[in-house]
Amino acid sequence: MSSVAFWLLAAMITIYVLLDGYDLGVAAIAPLIARTDAERAGTMESIGPFWNGNEVWLIAAGGSLFALFPQAYASAFSGFYLPFTIVLWLLMFRGIAMELRGQFASELWHNFWDFCFCGSSIGLIALFGIALGNLVRGLPLDRDGYFLGTFGFLLNPYALGVGLLAIAALAQHGATFVLMRIAGPPAQRGRALLATLWWIVAALYVVVSLSTLAQRWPLEHHGMHAWLIVMPVLSLLSLVALRILVARGSSARAFAASCAFLATLLVASAGTMYPYILPGYPSGLGGLNIDAATPSPTALATTVGVVAVGLCIVVAYSLFVARKMARKISL
Amino acid sequence: MDVVVADRLQFAFTIMFHYLFPIGTMGIAPFIAWYTYRAMRATDTHAGAAARFWTKIFTINFAAGVVTGIPMEFQFGTNWALFSAKTGSVVGQPLAMEGVYAFFLESVFLGILLYGKRVVSPRIYLLSAVMVWLGSWLSGFFIVAADAWMQHPVGYTIGASGRIELASLAAVLLSPFAWWQYLHVLTGAIVAGGFVVAGIGAYYLLARRDESFGRRFVFSGVIVGLIFSGLAIFPTGDRNSADVTHYQPIKLAAMEGLFATTAGAPLAIIGMPDAPHKTLIDPIFVPSVLSFLAYGNFRANVKGLRAYATELWPPIELTYYAYHVMVGLGTIFLGLGALAVLLLWRKQLFRTRWLLWLLLLAMPFPYVANEAGWVVTEVGRQPWIVYGLLKTSAAVSSNVAAGETIFTLIGFVGMYFALGLLFMLLTLREIGVGPHE
Repeated sequence: MSSVAFWLLAAMITIYVLLDGYDLGVAAIAPLIARTDAERAGTMESIGPFWNGNEVWLIAAGGSLFALFPQAYASAFSGFYLPFTIVLWLLMFRGIAMELRGQFASELWHNFWDFCFCGSSIGLIALFGIALGNLVRGLPLDRDGYFLGTFGFLLNPYALGVGLLAIAALAQHGATFVLMRIAGPPAQRGRALLATLWWIVAALYVVVSLSTLAQRWPLEHHGMHAWLIVMPVLSLLSLVALRILVARGSSARAFAASCAFLATLLVASAGTMYPYILPGYPSGLGGLNIDAATPSPTALATTVGVVAVGLCIVVAYSLFVARKMARKISL
Repeated sequence: MDVVVADRLQFAFTIMFHYLFPIGTMGIAPFIAWYTYRAMRATDTHAGAAARFWTKIFTINFAAGVVTGIPMEFQFGTNWALFSAKTGSVVGQPLAMEGVYAFFLESVFLGILLYGKRVVSPRIYLLSAVMVWLGSWLSGFFIVAADAWMQHPVGYTIGASGRIELASLAAVLLSPFAWWQYLHVLTGAIVAGGFVVAGIGAYYLLARRDESFGRRFVFSGVIVGLIFSGLAIFPTGDRNSADVTHYQPIKLAAMEGLFATTAGAPLAIIGMPDAPHKTLIDPIFVPSVLSFLAYGNFRANVKGLRAYATELWPPIELTYYAYHVMVGLGTIFLGLGALAVLLLWRKQLFRTRWLLWLLLLAMPFPYVANEAGWVVTEVGRQPWIVYGLLKTSAAVSSNVAAGETIFTLIGFVGMYFALGLLFMLLTLREIGVGPHE
């Protein structure tokens, strides 16, 4: 059951990245694709109805982590006190920027909040990427899973590389969303941007994948997860498909390919961690095992059931709302 | 500074600030749904504008609520790690459910309410208003259920490692303690919503602008305000007190400033508790009423604070004053609501300017009463974080220093100050623009 809980959580985080990923990405590239005030307002509007619901996936994943793996929740959040506080402030800042921008019809006001929105979004992507990099690499932990290292430890070259890949990949994800949702000059600039971004993503992807193998050869410890080797192949295929689909102009499919690219990367990352929820560093040493971090089987089964049923309902009405609200914005 | 004090200070500050906004959303959401429903009838031409006006006010509240709410979830892990590790399987449950069952509902359908007026049909639009309303109320329920469990833990077992484990989710969610506490919190929020709607309506009448909206808002606001002021006292407040009497007798004694165990205990209307000397200074008593309120019997024996060890006492003064502020204000709301409805019935309310002024000036006070109620609940529970099971002092993160907590607290104070200013500015601006066709 703890494995089911682990993968349920991994699925929630993956969905979070796919969904909030595009609105973070749109925010990150907004200054590059939207020039006039109206274009910027339209770019914001393209994610306006969705971003809040998207962010709830993070909040729901946090709540579920709390219920499913209380020990991991306690260890991670208290161990990384300052990084989590910074994430928190960036999230708050981003929400404020989104809500406040449209409140006054002043260009100075708009420019200020556009800058905050873009900056906080890029900061968030970078921090999430660095966090993921450190999780894959492993962390120096004590017996209860509490973090022993320093803040500087978290800024290692590998994690920074994952941070860069995250920025590039979500910017690309955001650009494909713009192609799908907006008609007009921002979409044309998005298309041009995508052509460059794609090469950056591809280069970073190759570098980071190779160093992941050097850091933590996943099959070394978990031979039974040989299927994981399929994931990088699938990511590579999705990345190639993305480029072809953009060139053909089928933007919805390109967006789907971008989703597949991110999802395969995240599933592969989760796979290298399993069965640890907080893997130890150096690789395979210590760490918080999913069985050690979970409550009793009854408690766990209840939470998994309740969360899984709830998420099915959420997916159903989110799709309903997305279909109702799906229309291209012309600028 | 002591790390426990620093953590409590930070939590108290962030949650009291946060709580202002859920009061607004829970209180205003039903008005939006009602006006949206009315707007579907061709005969009611103003309702659509009224719904849009309150949706704007709601959105500002909701945004501020989300922004200030995320830190609450984070703090359980960052500042209260031992609490999370020991009780996460129970307390995490309603919090996860809030995200999955309530918060999604509110956020996803708010997207339609804000951006979908021209895109979706009126029925879908009404459905969205109802879903947002349902989401805000469900959200409140799950949060109160988590808190009620900390007040009166049920449905758990103690695991091998000393961890508190969930045994029955139904017991946690269906706990009568949780339901009465929730209904009391909810009625409190609706009282605030009613008085805000009435107060803004009163402003339009006093300023002689948007008067048709002013009359509409005052009308629905005072009726809702009166009904729910009543419900806040009986049965919800009364049942809540009964639960406290039964399960948390020390809190009851602190709320009432009762030091000596007394048969036929009097109710202190006024008085200043002096905890070091264990007396109530300058009290005005109503004889035997406390015994009656607590046990339904004028002769019943009520245990006083002296019957308990002082290390089990909550902070007496804070609990006592917060309780008296809440009850005093609640009584005033009932009186004000009754007076306003009486004049409404006699068709004089819209012309009685002094009462409209009172309604306008009363707006902040339901918020004060709601906050005071939470102070009674949370401070009165001390020194326990989970009543009878886990002490607050044993719940903080052992690996986070007081300095870190104070640093982030200062950050929160600065950020919330700016946020509070912006919130006021935006709300006042919406009121200034007013409801328009």
